Amino acid sequence: MTYPDPDAVPPARPGVRPFLQSGSKHSTGGYTPTGEHPPVEQSSNALRPFVITSGRTDGGDPDIGMETQVTVVAGSPPSRLSPETRAIVSLCEESPISVAEISARLRLHLGVTRILVGDLRATGQLDVHVLENDTPDPETIMRVIRGLRSIS
Amino acid sequence: MDFDPSANRVVGTARIPGAPAPKKAPVPVKIIVAGGFGVGKTTTVGAISEISPLTTEAEMTSESVGIDDPGQATMKTGTTVAMDFGVLTIDQTLKLYIFGTPGQTRFAFMWDDLVKGALGALVVVDTNRIDDCYPAVDYFERAGLPFVVGINTFNGQMSYSIDEVRWALAIREDVPVVSFDARFRASVRDALLVVLDQALDKAIRMKTS
Repeated sequence: MTYPDPDAVPPARPGVRPFLQSGSKHSTGGYTPTGEHPPVEQSSNALRPFVITSGRTDGGDPDIGMETQVTVVAGSPPSRLSPETRAIVSLCEESPISVAEISARLRLHLGVTRILVGDLRATGQLDVHVLENDTPDPETIMRVIRGLRSIS
Repeated sequence: MDFDPSANRVVGTARIPGAPAPKKAPVPVKIIVAGGFGVGKTTTVGAISEISPLTTEAEMTSESVGIDDPGQATMKTGTTVAMDFGVLTIDQTLKLYIFGTPGQTRFAFMWDDLVKGALGALVVVDTNRIDDCYPAVDYFERAGLPFVVGINTFNGQMSYSIDEVRWALAIREDVPVVSFDARFRASVRDALLVVLDQALDKAIRMKTS
């Protein structure tokens, strides 16, 4: 499966901010903004993933972020799962995993993943660890800084 | 094994300092790596990540922005884009996610989702195509997200000095502009540390205000 080029969309319209130099200094670096990379086709393929969400395309619970951690609820009652939701549950069994990783590893559209994770949370299969406050506190940031400094 | 509901029925992952940590999900934090086409976003993510960068497909609801031409009708379109990201485990209770976003287009796309809860952003710049990063700079300024401009010197040279880039971007004095090499882990680490310094400043300001 190939992924569409993330940057295959027309470049920004210039002029919001001043150009570094006018005219010739502004090299395109061989990049041709038009033609070669048309935007990803949007018609039929964009909709198809949402068949498995019963047509819901709203992206799911806004509390469920890309990095939100998901774990399996131990002892949750067995329920009839679709292949996709079963795959999600089994991925989460190993260790806590982020929504983005689930999406990437199962090659499920991110929006679809969020909806399905929300469903599994509602049915008690998964715990979704929504952070209570959005903004990281200084202590957490300090820990990240110390952690990053220790790598080489 | 006894089932201890309290260990798993977690509503949030906020931690009580000093409390024994049951088997919990780590707290995720994230940094955004943004910039135009081919400036080295994926290279940046790959250099710092402990796993090969993963890709997720996301629907970007793009609202064609009529800022330059307010008379233009707003058009909403959906475009599927691929987003690369990586992970760095700080410790068992803290994980850093680094999301590389496609973003040279002036789309008010899914960035609101992406930026929510983010520590900050590194805007990667290729000095040959500086204007590619304007949308990202504009966005982060408006969103109030701490960001740092990182000039990628992947070919070992910069066409313009840091001061010239700062002038070209017309950014505030307190926005750091650094040069780094996206291919090298230590260099990416140092650039991200500058982002984290900015994030820390903001977090402390918010806490004391």
